[in-house]
Amino acid sequence: MKGRLRWLLPLVAVPILGLLTFGLTRDTYVLPTPLEGMEAPAFRLETLGGDSLSMAELEGKAVLLNFWASWCIPCRAEHEVLRLADDTYDDSEAVVVGVIYQDTEANARRFLAQLGGDWLHLKDPSQRTAIDFGVYGVPESFFIGRDGQIGYKKVGPVDWQLVRTMMDSLIAGPIPSTAASAEAGL
Amino acid sequence: MRRHGRASAPAASLAAVAVILWSGVTAPAQEVTPEEPAVADSASPRSELTDPAAAELDARAAEVAAELRCPVCRNQSVLESNAELSREMQDVVRERLAAGETPEEVKAYFVSRYGEWILLKPPAQGINLVVYLLPLVALLLGAAILRGRLRKWATAGTGERAETGPELRLDAEDAAGPPATDSGESEWLSPENQRWLKEALRE
Repeated sequence: MKGRLRWLLPLVAVPILGLLTFGLTRDTYVLPTPLEGMEAPAFRLETLGGDSLSMAELEGKAVLLNFWASWCIPCRAEHEVLRLADDTYDDSEAVVVGVIYQDTEANARRFLAQLGGDWLHLKDPSQRTAIDFGVYGVPESFFIGRDGQIGYKKVGPVDWQLVRTMMDSLIAGPIPSTAASAEAGL
Repeated sequence: MRRHGRASAPAASLAAVAVILWSGVTAPAQEVTPEEPAVADSASPRSELTDPAAAELDARAAEVAAELRCPVCRNQSVLESNAELSREMQDVVRERLAAGETPEEVKAYFVSRYGEWILLKPPAQGINLVVYLLPLVALLLGAAILRGRLRKWATAGTGERAETGPELRLDAEDAAGPPATDSGESEWLSPENQRWLKEALRE
């Protein structure tokens, strides 16, 4: 090894090694979402209770929209955090809403009977809402502000610290004027 | 069970490199099946194959679906994949085309929800251009080097010595090396680059 090879080799090797090292720090299963900062896609879905709920009806509240399934093990693990969130926040300020993903109603009900969780759960049998939200697996959670804008998307199970930080900041965030006046009228 | 449950790779260690490479190769298009498969809400519209208009729509939908990446597989298109999500996405493509959207608009919809990642072929703009241009650059560079070497070998084979132009005079370190080339190469590379490449190759 002499002459130019002495610096040519590192010149080629160092960037490649750098690239590989950078790759190790990333979880390639987590895809960046273009939805953060965007208006949450509109939907109207049937709840497990038989009512219907639309995104527009949630305006004025911070929303933790959680896509889950009974067959998903991490969903089971994060369920306690969602319960805590549902207990902690006043429904007039912030709500947890579940969307059942690729699951049967019977299995979803069994899951809830086992683990609790009496917040609203929406059925999305054709997965149109999941596709609208760019969901590709469960659990995925969207933190939606009181103005209907998606603040953050979490792929994988949420933890309490994330939920508390996000929900607190969204509750303190902007409220659309229509919802604010409706609240004042109450 | 799902991808999300998977622990993230530990920081730089050779074992981790091996695991990553291995999992990248072997991660198959596995689709986790729910305990009981969810019932599709409507009959698939793809059954209307007898209707020529429907068949034409199917063909257009297949074209778009072939360009979309299945989100739960690795490197499979929505068209090829049998994953539940992919089948629903095929229906979305079909519905949107039937509603009068162009293939570009349908693809733009998926990009707006899943990001550019959803396109199997990245659009040739911005940083993506590197992917398209780098092979071309490498090919041209390789051709230039090969041409230079071939010329030199041909010259050496006939025993002829090419005349060395004054600008190609070798410095002392390389005086013992093979002879310099004829001047024909300069149309490919500047003399300075020719010399540089040759030295690199010789080493």
